[in-house]
Amino acid sequence: MSLKRVATVASKEWREMVRDRMFVLLAFLLPVLWMLVFGYGLVLDVEKIPFVVVDRDHSSLSRDYLYRFTTSRYFDFKGSLVGEAEADDWLESGKARAVIVVPEKFEERLVAGQPAAVQTLIDGTFPLRTDITKGYVIAINGAFSADLLSDHVARMQGVSRARAEILAHPIKLEIRYLYNEEVRSSWSTIPALVMFSLMLAPPLLTALGIVREKESGSIYNIYSATVGKVEYLAGKLAPYVAVSFVNAVVLWLLATLWFGVPFKGNVGLFLISALLFVLTSTGIGLLVSIMVSTQIAALIVTMVISILPTILFSGLIVPVSSLSPGAWIQAHFFPGMYFTNIVRGTFLKGVGLDVLWPDVLALALYAAALRLVGYRLFTKRPRS
Amino acid sequence: MVAPTSPQPSALGPQHTDTVIKVSSFVKRYKKNVAVDGIDLEVRHGEIYGLIGPDGAGKSSLMKAIAGVLTYDEGTVNVFGILVDSERAAERVKQWIGFLPQGLGLNLYPDLSVEENIDFFARLRLVPERDLLERKTRLLAMTRLDKFRDRAMKHLSGGMKQKLGLICTLIHEPKLAILDEPTTGVDPVSRRDFWAILAELLQEKGMTALVSTAYMDEAARFHRLSFVSNGKELASGTPAEVRALVPGSMVTFEAAPQLDALARLKRTYRQVEALGPRLHVFTESTDAEQAMSDIATALNGLAPSNVRVDEPELEDVFVALLLRQVEHQEADGALSVSAMNRDHDGPAIEAKGLIRDFGSFRAVDHVSFRVQPGEIFGLLGANGAGKTTVIKMLTGIIPPTGGEGRVAGADMKIAGNAIKERIGYMSQAFSLYLDLTVVENIWLFAGIYGLDSRATEERLQWIVAMAGLHGYESNLTGRLPMGVRQRLALGCALVHRPRVLFLDEPTSGVDPIGRRRFWDILSRLAREEEVSILVTTHYMTEAEHCDHLALMYAGRIVAEGSPSDMKSQVEQEAGRLLEIETDIPGRALRRLKEAGFSEAALYGTKIHLLSRHHVQDEARLRTVLSSDGMGVKAVGGRPLSLEDVFVHRVMTLEQQEAATKRGAGV
Repeated sequence: MSLKRVATVASKEWREMVRDRMFVLLAFLLPVLWMLVFGYGLVLDVEKIPFVVVDRDHSSLSRDYLYRFTTSRYFDFKGSLVGEAEADDWLESGKARAVIVVPEKFEERLVAGQPAAVQTLIDGTFPLRTDITKGYVIAINGAFSADLLSDHVARMQGVSRARAEILAHPIKLEIRYLYNEEVRSSWSTIPALVMFSLMLAPPLLTALGIVREKESGSIYNIYSATVGKVEYLAGKLAPYVAVSFVNAVVLWLLATLWFGVPFKGNVGLFLISALLFVLTSTGIGLLVSIMVSTQIAALIVTMVISILPTILFSGLIVPVSSLSPGAWIQAHFFPGMYFTNIVRGTFLKGVGLDVLWPDVLALALYAAALRLVGYRLFTKRPRS
Repeated sequence: MVAPTSPQPSALGPQHTDTVIKVSSFVKRYKKNVAVDGIDLEVRHGEIYGLIGPDGAGKSSLMKAIAGVLTYDEGTVNVFGILVDSERAAERVKQWIGFLPQGLGLNLYPDLSVEENIDFFARLRLVPERDLLERKTRLLAMTRLDKFRDRAMKHLSGGMKQKLGLICTLIHEPKLAILDEPTTGVDPVSRRDFWAILAELLQEKGMTALVSTAYMDEAARFHRLSFVSNGKELASGTPAEVRALVPGSMVTFEAAPQLDALARLKRTYRQVEALGPRLHVFTESTDAEQAMSDIATALNGLAPSNVRVDEPELEDVFVALLLRQVEHQEADGALSVSAMNRDHDGPAIEAKGLIRDFGSFRAVDHVSFRVQPGEIFGLLGANGAGKTTVIKMLTGIIPPTGGEGRVAGADMKIAGNAIKERIGYMSQAFSLYLDLTVVENIWLFAGIYGLDSRATEERLQWIVAMAGLHGYESNLTGRLPMGVRQRLALGCALVHRPRVLFLDEPTSGVDPIGRRRFWDILSRLAREEEVSILVTTHYMTEAEHCDHLALMYAGRIVAEGSPSDMKSQVEQEAGRLLEIETDIPGRALRRLKEAGFSEAALYGTKIHLLSRHHVQDEARLRTVLSSDGMGVKAVGGRPLSLEDVFVHRVMTLEQQEAATKRGAGV
């Protein structure tokens, strides 16, 4: 092993990289771009649902009921309609996602102690959003009913309003959200996007960089020279690891400073794990480059093997723990999941190595194993 | 000199043996395709060994296996006495080998400068920095690349890339250089320069070289050679030994009418070519008288004139060997004369003072020439001389900055699309769709030119007959041999009966038989159908087929005439070509250069030089060499080749240019 040879290969690779404007753009812009696009695009919060109302009762109680929706931050009041026929237009055109119809004699029936039915029409084209909208409607409706009950109890028992509330609802539910106090989905997705970008860009750059040499024939310079496999692979991968690590730092800054996601953990732990993860993902690129012989094939194979599992099985959108048993097992085969645990852990929970050591260890094993396999498969005397 | 501190025991050098490479019964397969089928090869210390053969002959596979960068399936490969049969064994021999893969400059790093490229190769081989500096300076000076040290490799010309590739391959001073088609795609001047540099370096360092080439005319440059085709060795030995395998003579003469003569000769002889107005026939008779009388019989009444009988060139020998391998020759399709659109008389192509500027760079500078109907006109020149720009202006792809170009009577500047129907164009890249069958490609081109179904059917028949595509009709184009593909491309370019045909380097990568067949078709197109053909080519032996030639240099036409005119012009200016055989060619060359024969160059084991007063010069060089104790075996005159003409012209112009620059600089 000669360090001079490693340095020679690395410095050549580095010079080629920085002189290729397209490559520089791809290497540094792509991860940031992904982060920005998905950071703004992949917001799972359902807020400001546009809705219209049909109030057939026009009583003080019906106005009171509807007022609770119009003032909620989850709903966006678009207007009051005369009849339900008009509501169809609003729903079909997508200007409204929900319609609340208060029937005639709403107040009359309630005061008389009879049940009243409020009809709610919800756009069901996108089930996740529909469910969440339904949940909000039920919650607001429930709060209104509870208030009515408290009023009734106060009147019947002749006690104060506060006392009546306790009598009507003896158990009060208190929820404190931990780690992501405001339950913002961006706080959860953006750290995971650091993982996403680092899982996609480095393998792509590495695979293209090596396959380019195969395609042009300059790989024969390496095959025919006395440079060892370890020397070549170490030198060749070093610049890609370096660029990817710089990207990891840039993405971390973007997440904390631009998106304002709190970072509660240990920066050192994060950086070391990021380095291990980058070593893993460049290792994937190395394997791809050994299997294929054209840049276009490298592009497609890398995309297929890194995008799908990263979106599906690494906890980016759906938590690994809520996957089906089969998918749960698959998720453990992809390195993305471990790094997701580390980023979420260091960003939101502020936990350290004492909790995250299995994930860090898994990444270290991946990085080592991928390199070992790459070394075994790379040959300076191929069959064709 | 600092000794390399490498701890490997092999740094001591290989065992000294006379045999550097020994290959026996070598077989290489790619899946089911057999690329090399049982080749034996022995390369001895200090020689330049040539592997000659067309594309796909198996040369690259063999060279890669010897360099230890490719596995093989059967046989043995011994390099420096080490059996190369595993990656470990291959690693052991790599320290003594320099390998230049195929593809002009493709193994170099385009974004790195000339110097950075050299440094990379040297440091990869752990060449001590002091040695590197010394060798780099010398090699850069020798290849005249020293002015371009800092230029990015991607901005170098083809010839410069090739020389840089050579420097990078030899910077660690290997004992064996393996160079895979180093001269392909390079103009004749750069090629000759390359051979001179290579010969000098090898001699100086006592290196051995295994070099492959697809140019048959380079065969004479090797000490020994193997001629390979379809994975098999057809001949091997010294050039003289190979020549002796096929005894015979080449007879060149004129006979009118040429077409009749050609048809009659073909009944008896397998190697008949039309070179402009002349006919070129290979006969198996070595006796000139006998050969002539045989030919007279075959001509059956047509009288030959201007007869010359020469020894066959190596290329003729190779073609004869190839023809033996292919026992039955595909029947030549009879060319039915289909009336071409004749709507005008006068020259088919006329360029009058064509100029084209790209920014401040003048790519084409006042170019004028005429091509008559039915004439084959060759445009020669190095890469970047402006040939392609001229073609692009004449076909209306780019407008000229100044001057006028008329094709088939129409002005290209204003003719627009209508004129494109009268022109056929075939490029180097053969613009065929590889996933379509032969017939589908013809249909497609017929559709593009708006032929109706009757005309399409008629042209289809004509193209299949003309290009000899019988039996290939429903084959996928991508699976066709190069020669057949090339003829299909020609057919597609002719689908709309153009009167003028432009061919931009149409024969790259085609084997010699395929090339001869292609030219056969071209000359019949010109003679029988009066199609005018403008062709550019790198193969100087092909330029012999043209009726008229124009040589371009730096955007200008610097010489013009028929091939024999061009040769006699140079003979008058610079003298005859002398070939000198000596015992120690390397030392003799150095001695001759010192004595004032500055143009002398090594050509295989012989020395070539141009001499105006050959009697005096011969006497002088004999005295020079014998005074140094070297025996002169033979000195003889040789006919000039078009390559000699090309190189002489371009070199003279380059020297003039350099002189003016120096004059202006002072």
